[in-house]
Amino acid sequence: MKLTNFAQTTTTRSPLTEAQFLGGMAKSSDKTHKKSLEVLLPLTSLIDAFSIIVIYLLIGTQGGGLEADIPTQISLPTAEAGVTIESETPTIRIVKGSYFINDKKVAAADLVRNLANLKKDMSKDSVEILIQADQAMDYADLDPLLRAGSAAGIQKLKFAVVPSK
Amino acid sequence: MKKELNFELNILPILDILSVMICFLLLTAVWVQVNSLDTKQALGDNTISQKENPPSLWIGVERNGTLKLSLRDVKANVPTESTLSGNREGVNWTALSQKIQGLKKQFPNLNTVIIRPEAKANYGVVIRLMDQLKQNQMTDVGLSPLG
Repeated sequence: MKLTNFAQTTTTRSPLTEAQFLGGMAKSSDKTHKKSLEVLLPLTSLIDAFSIIVIYLLIGTQGGGLEADIPTQISLPTAEAGVTIESETPTIRIVKGSYFINDKKVAAADLVRNLANLKKDMSKDSVEILIQADQAMDYADLDPLLRAGSAAGIQKLKFAVVPSK
Repeated sequence: MKKELNFELNILPILDILSVMICFLLLTAVWVQVNSLDTKQALGDNTISQKENPPSLWIGVERNGTLKLSLRDVKANVPTESTLSGNREGVNWTALSQKIQGLKKQFPNLNTVIIRPEAKANYGVVIRLMDQLKQNQMTDVGLSPLG
């Protein structure tokens, strides 16, 4: 490759232009004018497209709300009036009549004690809990949790839903 | 010897990084966003602290989708009890929506609703009922325990 300086810019090839193509760009401009058999791959436009995809994925799928880990056996109900979960909230999951406080199985009889401990640990005036339950569940399975929450002094209950819009 | 001013920009590693980033973002993306419907539950007996109870609507939910509506603490000579029979799909959502809108128009300060489902009522139906109430500007929705 010919050495270049600023005074000779009109006569020299730019390595950047050559680097844009993966293939025979350099060869095709050789004096022999032999047709290159290599496929020209426009790398610059490829990088543009990749960058746009990366930005889209960063903005569109990562921000807003908390990541919720929903087990496959739970099908959450859908709702339009749901609000985004902004802060980290203790989760209570009901799976086939069993209760899990932050993924730890708890017997129905121990719900009050565990919720009271949870409230004490959080040391906040207003404690919220997020309830995840299957939409096909009977209301009777939710009842012990409502009673335990009330007895433990937890006033705000959040029911996990999937936004329908 | 003259120092070369041009430099070669190696685009292939950039492409590699971008490809890896796309794979990583696709794998870690949270496609299903989870929202929440908020309720404020009663703690103990509030009757002592509250001078006057606000107007409220109590909705009983039966297993077959029948809803029993009861207005409380409204100062008007209107029928306070009504029943919305279920249809083939369960709850008659259209009739319920019209009923709530009518009540809201009649009593603009009616913001409190207590839902009282029976034991075998479906949780999904209860949540949908809460959703519809929230959509109709019922701000304080609570769930009543059984019994």
